[in-house]
Amino acid sequence: MENGTYFIISSNFWTIAGSFGLNTNLLETNLINLGVVLGLLVYFGKGVLSNLLNNRKLTILNTIQDAEERYKEATDKLNQARTRLQQAKQKADDIRINGLSQMEKEKQDLINAADEDSKRLEDSKNATIRFEKQRAIEQVRQQVSRLALERALETLKSRLNSELHLRMIDYHIGLLRAMESTIE
Amino acid sequence: MSHTAEMVSTFNNFYEISSVEVGQHFYWQLGSFQVHAQVLITSWIVIAILLSLAVLATRNLQTIPMGGQNFVEYVLEFIRDLTRTQIGEEEYRPWVPFIGTMFLFIFVSNWSGALFPWRVFELPNGELAAPTNDINTTVALALLTSVAYFYAGLHKKGLSYFGKYIQPTPVLLPINILEDFTKPLSLSFRLFGNILADELVVAVLISLVPLVVPIPMMFLGLFTSAIQALIFATLAAAYIGESMEGHH
Repeated sequence: MENGTYFIISSNFWTIAGSFGLNTNLLETNLINLGVVLGLLVYFGKGVLSNLLNNRKLTILNTIQDAEERYKEATDKLNQARTRLQQAKQKADDIRINGLSQMEKEKQDLINAADEDSKRLEDSKNATIRFEKQRAIEQVRQQVSRLALERALETLKSRLNSELHLRMIDYHIGLLRAMESTIE
Repeated sequence: MSHTAEMVSTFNNFYEISSVEVGQHFYWQLGSFQVHAQVLITSWIVIAILLSLAVLATRNLQTIPMGGQNFVEYVLEFIRDLTRTQIGEEEYRPWVPFIGTMFLFIFVSNWSGALFPWRVFELPNGELAAPTNDINTTVALALLTSVAYFYAGLHKKGLSYFGKYIQPTPVLLPINILEDFTKPLSLSFRLFGNILADELVVAVLISLVPLVVPIPMMFLGLFTSAIQALIFATLAAAYIGESMEGHH
């Protein structure tokens, strides 16, 4: 017995059966019975097994189809929701833009109205100022002319004598004559 | 003279028809070990069947399974259900291949032993049969299961796994230790006994009445060997689940 790995056929146990070979004795090799058993097994088992496997396949098919249908429905709903979102967003944008322009318009209107009001007030202020100025000038004029007349009257009262009076009347007659000649 | 010759020859014929070889093995020499070659040969054939089934059925995978793919998917679902029932929802996934291999190997080897015409091939010594009719095979499978559930428990709980030995009460410590030896023992002997006994009964029936009578026994053998494969796989999954539980 050497060490290492090698195959030998141990010759301690040879029996009558001899060496390798094929046994062709039908009865001894049980071939008929095996044939019957296998035949019956295949005959009955095939039906059962193919039934089972078919059911399994149909279940899988149905499950897959259901899943695909639900997927399709879900994508449809998603698309619908998306379009509705788009529309809503569009509308929101529109409303926002309208609102902004309206705001702008109203702002402008207010500004214009305020401008006009202020202009009007300005005008009336100016008119009042001019009026008052005129009045003041008038008053001053009146005052000045009154004062001048009073002074003249004073001077006249203090220095009037018959000679001066005579000379003044002659001067006025001359003026009137000059005027008359101009008118003609 | 001729009478005795006739008697001797008929005696020989009689002896040849009714030969049932039990305990005869075909030995190969590997180093200093002798292995049972007939078990190795049939095991290799079973492995070849399983591998070719796996490879052939998973070529060209479709979403809607056809034929072979449908069948192996069905088998996978069956094994997955079995594992999930025994081990629990959260952690059954890594153990499906192990339990599946146990189940499929035992199932295919049992049924191949019962359905293939092994006796057509004559060996110098011993005969070809199911690989699980040899105690070495079943003990190997049972020891693998033992290692598996030890690994499961240790991987999950660390060294506190050994706390389960005193779990309900410390009085039960010897029984718990004994359980670790009886589990692989019972697994191996249950399977070995069932398969070998069925083979022997069928062989004896064949040697007595070769034709119709063995058929019901062969059907019974198919049924019980399938059940034995299921039981082995279920128990293996149950031991693994039991050693992993109690963490929550």
